[in-house]
Amino acid sequence: MTNVTSRFRPVPALSGRLFRQKRGRNLIAVLAIFLTAMMFTALCTLTGSMAENLTQMAFRQTGSDAEASIRGLTEEEADLIASHPDVEAVGKSIVLGILGNSDLRGRQVELRWADKTYASHAFSFPTTGRMPETADEIALDTLTLDRLGIPHTLGAEVEIQWQKDPADLALTVSRLTLCGYWEGNLSSYSSMAWVGREYADEMTGGVLSQDESETLGLLMAQVILPESRDIEGEMDRILSDLGLALPYSVNLAYSPEMGAMAAQESLPMAVGMVLVFIAGCLIIYNIFQISVASDIRLYGQLKTVGMTGKQLRRLIYGEALILCAAGIPLGLLAGWGLGALLVPVLLGMAEGEMSVSVSPLIFIGAALLSAATVFASCLRPARLAGKVSPIEAMRTADAAVPGARARRRPLRQDGSLLSMAARNLGRNKKRTATVVGSLTLALVLLGVFYAQNAAFDIEKYLSDLTIADFTLSDPSNTDYAGGYDPEGDALTEGLAAQAGSLPYLEAVGRQYTAETEWQMDENTREKVAAFYDAGRLAEWESYDAAGAEACRAAIQTGEAAAIVHGLSGIPLDTITGGEYLLEGAFDPEAFAGGGYILAVGPAVDPEGEYPVLPVPDVGSEVTLNGETFTVMAVVYPLNPVMELPREAGSDGKFPITFILPEVEFRVLWPEYTMRQLFVNVGDEGLEEAESRFAGYADETGAALTSRRTMAEQYEAETRSSAVMGSAVSAVIALVGVLNFVNSMATSILTRKREFAVMQSIGMTGRQLRRMLACEGLLYAGLTLAASCLITIPAVGIGVRAMVSGGFTTFRFTLLPLAACTPVLLILAVAVPWLCLRNVEKRSVVERLRTE
Amino acid sequence: MTTDIILQARGLKKYYGKGETEVRALDGVDLDIERGTFTAIIGSSGSGKSTLLNMLGGLDTPTAGSIRVGNTELADLKGDEATIFRRKQIGFVFQNYNLVPVLSVWENIIFPISLDSRKPDSAFILEAVRLLGLEQKLHSLPSSLSGGQQQRVAIARAIASKPSIILADEPTGNLDSRTSDDVIGLLKMTSKTFSQTIVMITHNPEIAAMADRVVQIEDGKIVRS
Repeated sequence: MTNVTSRFRPVPALSGRLFRQKRGRNLIAVLAIFLTAMMFTALCTLTGSMAENLTQMAFRQTGSDAEASIRGLTEEEADLIASHPDVEAVGKSIVLGILGNSDLRGRQVELRWADKTYASHAFSFPTTGRMPETADEIALDTLTLDRLGIPHTLGAEVEIQWQKDPADLALTVSRLTLCGYWEGNLSSYSSMAWVGREYADEMTGGVLSQDESETLGLLMAQVILPESRDIEGEMDRILSDLGLALPYSVNLAYSPEMGAMAAQESLPMAVGMVLVFIAGCLIIYNIFQISVASDIRLYGQLKTVGMTGKQLRRLIYGEALILCAAGIPLGLLAGWGLGALLVPVLLGMAEGEMSVSVSPLIFIGAALLSAATVFASCLRPARLAGKVSPIEAMRTADAAVPGARARRRPLRQDGSLLSMAARNLGRNKKRTATVVGSLTLALVLLGVFYAQNAAFDIEKYLSDLTIADFTLSDPSNTDYAGGYDPEGDALTEGLAAQAGSLPYLEAVGRQYTAETEWQMDENTREKVAAFYDAGRLAEWESYDAAGAEACRAAIQTGEAAAIVHGLSGIPLDTITGGEYLLEGAFDPEAFAGGGYILAVGPAVDPEGEYPVLPVPDVGSEVTLNGETFTVMAVVYPLNPVMELPREAGSDGKFPITFILPEVEFRVLWPEYTMRQLFVNVGDEGLEEAESRFAGYADETGAALTSRRTMAEQYEAETRSSAVMGSAVSAVIALVGVLNFVNSMATSILTRKREFAVMQSIGMTGRQLRRMLACEGLLYAGLTLAASCLITIPAVGIGVRAMVSGGFTTFRFTLLPLAACTPVLLILAVAVPWLCLRNVEKRSVVERLRTE
Repeated sequence: MTTDIILQARGLKKYYGKGETEVRALDGVDLDIERGTFTAIIGSSGSGKSTLLNMLGGLDTPTAGSIRVGNTELADLKGDEATIFRRKQIGFVFQNYNLVPVLSVWENIIFPISLDSRKPDSAFILEAVRLLGLEQKLHSLPSSLSGGQQQRVAIARAIASKPSIILADEPTGNLDSRTSDDVIGLLKMTSKTFSQTIVMITHNPEIAAMADRVVQIEDGKIVRS
């Protein structure tokens, strides 16, 4: 009987027992904490992995993880540097040249000798086999092997072709044996082909190049330092210690810009973490707030029997601690898995190419962040519980607002539930206004965000990049460095015929391009001079001094170039469509009939008014290659067709662009080949056309642009910002909804006794529920009405003004509001129902008596 | 008798509401209570008895006036200081018992002592428990007890820490006359042993007759003392 313990720790005991009473709340709270911890871990994993992968990627791009590199030094100098005590290692390599095998077109493969240090720091150390040792051995990466069509087997024969002297086209051909290979990486700009020292010496004649511009025999050294801080200072010190004056370059991957880039890349993650913190806090805060509100009498009671505010706060934190212990570990595991899944998506790479960070810092950080979220959420509820006044708690009812109650109301006959509900809302006007206001704000913001995003028009965006479903172009079409080769052989008549026979074909089109000298007539020269006034020339000069200079020269002498495009089908139809016509009128039949030419104006704002354009007048005559044409119209330079590199070997004279029908172009320049082939197919044929063209592009080296791929690419590139945008909207919506739920739940839980009184005098549970549902619906109705009133002008006027211009098409939409309406209505009924169910667990008498 | 004043109220006022609806629960009460005495407070319902008791125990704050317990001015105590002072110096017996539903009878009784991290005097408390007839119920939860039993638990809790003052709000309201006599006897006995002061609200004239002094309150004012 009297086996009683005197050792009783009241706070933990109460904490545990109260905790066990609230199973429903605990389940939701653990779920919320689990989700919070999961999101934090995922974001931390992403941030950590992004940083790791970005550094790796930067190393691959610069080709090495050595701190510094030196070109064109002697072997003695390299060995001297290696002997310095502060240098960890020096890797050496001798460059021979670039492999010229035709199968390797489009991929640079450098033929070199290197020591093991160099090869391994250049990520090119054979993982199978070894480095070459004899004169007839070679080591290559798998990318090169695949292109050459050589199986991944040691001992395979490799034939290499390369130019010893860039000026001499003669190829050196060697047959070597594969002695090692490693996994190639596409993010590095070039691949390495290692040969033995013997072979290298034979080719260079044992003479190392002293001139940096001469590749054959150029010795390159990588300097590996023990630390990557202040590389420049360290290198200067080492070189001066050794008495060497060699120009060196610091690995760009170690530059502060890289760090800044990594920080920029992880900015969305940081924003994400803040959002998770806010969202997590709000949810957990709401759970605790409601829980404290419903237990406020108990807390008051505890205070009357001597519990201090501090002890009450500890009670709440104790419960939070138990919840954390359950939710956080699970969240960490799930979050890491989620992060691992998301890393490839966000970095836009294949899975095998990256590592997912497993640093313990991630888990510690995420666990601390989650715990911080939970305790931050408990702060206010705990303070509320701690501050409860014992007497007030014993008679808590919905706060009576002095004055509001005192006003006399006319005696009304209808004690209807709706009017009761309306009066209940009026009882605490401030709270009603807060609830309606915060939810309205959330809905309005959501509506505005959504309307703004919905205004983005992918079609408009794509039309600036491509004009057809598929565009096949000559490999030199976009070669800005070397220039366009008008006699390339990638696009053939056979291809055009093949395209013409595609199922579901809708349209095709071709583009040919030629460049010729052209003496401007006096009128055109004056127009050019008038258009390119001092202001425009100065602006042009700021980004392209040579272009502006050429324009000045052309204004002086009238000597210019004519870039002539021969167009048919899709590009011609597009460019002569109304929106691109700047001057004159286009008559397709007359144009096809011959003798007419179109002049292409500058890329001016199509909406603007320009008194003069730097092109020949409509109706004037233009003579090209001895043929005379009449200018029919002036058109706008369509981006995917006109904004392309000039012909290889162009003398850079100021150009005026013209368009001829394809037929006439081919008469003037019969030997020129197709530059671009445009094809439109119906939706049903996209799949097949895509695979056929991709195959063709692979075979010939032609470049393929597919509208669908571009749309997907755009989607992939903007995915992380889209996810961020939706997350922001979701958090805003969540905040509003939680506020709504919280206020309703609190207002019901604090009126427990009042409800008991009403039930004791004959109100049925059903009527009570209906009255509370009416209250909820009134809240929802008020909110929706307010939201509509504000969102309509905000979207109709505000967003419309905000999105004008750019790649956007304004559409009036209230979709988010419409989508939220049923959610709100359901919550308005469900929340009171659930709360009441909880309240009614105890009998009316119990509630009347003890509370 | 020495005039050793342990409880002193001066100009005590408690108003609720404003203007037309103002309620004067206490309207200028001056009261001195000597150490070791047994005072009964009587009055009709709504006269302000409970309000006065709550004020004296520091549960409620007055609109005006001061309360001194021993050498301590209650208004000087801030936040948790007041709570700690109360649980050390004052034993409360509430009209509605105020038992913590998730704690057993024994845990409820030693709860205020445990909150102070003190060790309860188990022998003394078990003796009180026996007198109150609760020895079979120590491991039960309050919800399984009758109203009278709960009232006795509340009394046991109030005297468990041997406070210098016991404030009781109708402690025998739910007890039969025999138990009532026992309880009052117990209270008187402990008060004598530990020189405790008892202030008790009651409706029962027999109990009031057992008191050293009877104070009557009507409309927030003392009409007899």
